[in-house]
Amino acid sequence: MALHLLGWLAVALYLGAEALAIASLVAPRGTLGKLTPLLVAVGLALHFGDLMHRARALVSVPYRTLGGSVSLFGWMLGIAFLVLLARHRERAIGPFLIPFVVLTTAAGLLLPDSGAAPAQGAQGSLFALHVTLAILAYAAFTFSFVLAILYLVQSRQLRRRRTGILFARLPALEVIGRMNRTSVSVGLAALTLSLALGLVRAEQVWSTLHDPKIAWALLTLVIYGFLLWMDRRGWEGPRVALLSILGFGVMLFSYTIVNMYFSREHSFR
Amino acid sequence: MTGAGEARLLLLGWNFRTAALSVRERVAFSAEEVPEVLDRIRGAGLVSEGVIVSTCNRSEIYGVSNGAGTNEELTRLISEWRGLDVREAAAGSFHREGAEAARHLFRVAAGLDSMALGESEVLGQVRTALRLAREAGATRSVLHRMFESAVAAGKRVRTETEIARHPLSIPSIGFELATKVFGEMAERSILVLGAGKTGTMFAEQARAAGVGEVRIANRSRERAEELANRIGGRAVEWNRLARELPEADVVVGTTSSPEPVVRRRDVEAAMRERRGRPMFFLDLAMPRDFEAGVGDIYNVYAYGLDDLKEVAEENRVRRSREVPRAEAILEEDLARFLAWFGNLAVVPTLNDLQARLAALRDAELTRVAPGEREKFRAFADAIAGKLLHEPLRRLKAEPDASRKLDRVEAVRHLFDLDQ
Repeated sequence: MALHLLGWLAVALYLGAEALAIASLVAPRGTLGKLTPLLVAVGLALHFGDLMHRARALVSVPYRTLGGSVSLFGWMLGIAFLVLLARHRERAIGPFLIPFVVLTTAAGLLLPDSGAAPAQGAQGSLFALHVTLAILAYAAFTFSFVLAILYLVQSRQLRRRRTGILFARLPALEVIGRMNRTSVSVGLAALTLSLALGLVRAEQVWSTLHDPKIAWALLTLVIYGFLLWMDRRGWEGPRVALLSILGFGVMLFSYTIVNMYFSREHSFR
Repeated sequence: MTGAGEARLLLLGWNFRTAALSVRERVAFSAEEVPEVLDRIRGAGLVSEGVIVSTCNRSEIYGVSNGAGTNEELTRLISEWRGLDVREAAAGSFHREGAEAARHLFRVAAGLDSMALGESEVLGQVRTALRLAREAGATRSVLHRMFESAVAAGKRVRTETEIARHPLSIPSIGFELATKVFGEMAERSILVLGAGKTGTMFAEQARAAGVGEVRIANRSRERAEELANRIGGRAVEWNRLARELPEADVVVGTTSSPEPVVRRRDVEAAMRERRGRPMFFLDLAMPRDFEAGVGDIYNVYAYGLDDLKEVAEENRVRRSREVPRAEAILEEDLARFLAWFGNLAVVPTLNDLQARLAALRDAELTRVAPGEREKFRAFADAIAGKLLHEPLRRLKAEPDASRKLDRVEAVRHLFDLDQ
């Protein structure tokens, strides 16, 4: 199949964005860091071209192959990054988030791309929306996970009075917490919608709902829903961060192990 | 840059490193005294321009001498006037000349010569020194340019390096830590316990930093109200301290109470009422104002005086690591000033002027038929020579070094020689 020229160009741009983000973390007064979102945006445009190319080959959203789905995941991460940046204007998180965009996009280009026959009912715009929203939710939860780690790191630095460069550059706990809230809210909304669409579709074509993936998605929803509820009640702090990490673990399990071994309908094969 | 008739930069100074306080206070000049000092040293013919930088840590006299004035004579004049023993005054003083004098000023402006490395106050003091001297009519182009360059370099050092970034004072460090928990402080509430010296300092700093609400609790209510009125805060009842806690994001202890004024169980109750929202405790009191174990409560960040002192020490080290980069920046700006100053001598200016005229002449000659060029060249040279003869003779003959520098500067400006 294609050499994914556009995809690799996008990876190169993401890498450039990461380099600039690191440079601006080390020397925050430079203006180069302002180019980071621009590079990511151009990368996303090229990446989109690559995804369209795959989609044309498969005549569907590129979900069906592992490579395609991971690449779409990378693209969504890029979108989520720009959303976070636009909403919170906190450039210091770039160096920690962009690597996920780079790695998933590159992995998507390297992983096998041979398409299986589409599962029953796996077409149509309803279905496409279901997949896209699910992957957007995964992207948002991934960033929530990274932000939770940053929160714990910063909190630990504060407790141990480590006031080095990382301490100085990372945002305040309150700000990291707020960004995590944005991520989880986006993820929760996307996953809820995706689940609803999936259920509608499943009822149309399978007539039963015994896919274990549904149970896992519900569990994910419950965890993140509880997190947001806690956060809204003011129970912010390390516990919310730990819950973000737990939610991400469940999501990862559902995306990999459940897909590969338990769910016939959500398998990549 | 030495010899009669040529300008030379001079610096005579006393600072916290070289001179005892007893000497320093005798040579400290108030803003009212500065014009008099400048009049004296210029009146005695030692310098033709002068600026005095006088702060609590230093007293420095910068001057432009035309060769007659030396640092020794300056020292004698100052010590006689101030009734100081000349040897004592000289022993605690330091001298710089030429580029070294300029370099010292650049370092002072950048805060490299300050007790608290990189502090910013000195920049304003250097600026004030220039203003006072200018108002006294004691500066002309050289010192004016030198001080403006030093101030610009000092600003550059502070924006391009980290030397002024890591806070050194205990309140600012406490503040930085609190900011790393809460982000913007405009919506936050701070409760200061004790309206003594430390409490006052902290409350003032919090207000200046834009903290939303500052509350003050003090055993004697009047002092709390007095401070609160002055800074636009609010005094609260000392006996209701536990009731005030839940509303406070930051609590600062500065009382002289022999036992803790905030108990662990008070904080636990406050945290319950806050539903776990983080709290920040800063204990600047000795003995401590907060009971031990307050910092172990979930989402409570607590720091004592020792913690902050430790951070201050680390920050001092961090600032000192920036010195080489700061010096590199200073050297760049210093080189630019010295190049300008070097060009102010008559000879290089004459050379530049002649080169400029020759270029003009050659450009015009291209419009003349080749056979005629020799004739026109000689003609042009004759006119230019006659025209410039008298101005240049007067320029060379000027006895006052500073006036001569001013004039050379004018020539360079009018003929655009610094391109």
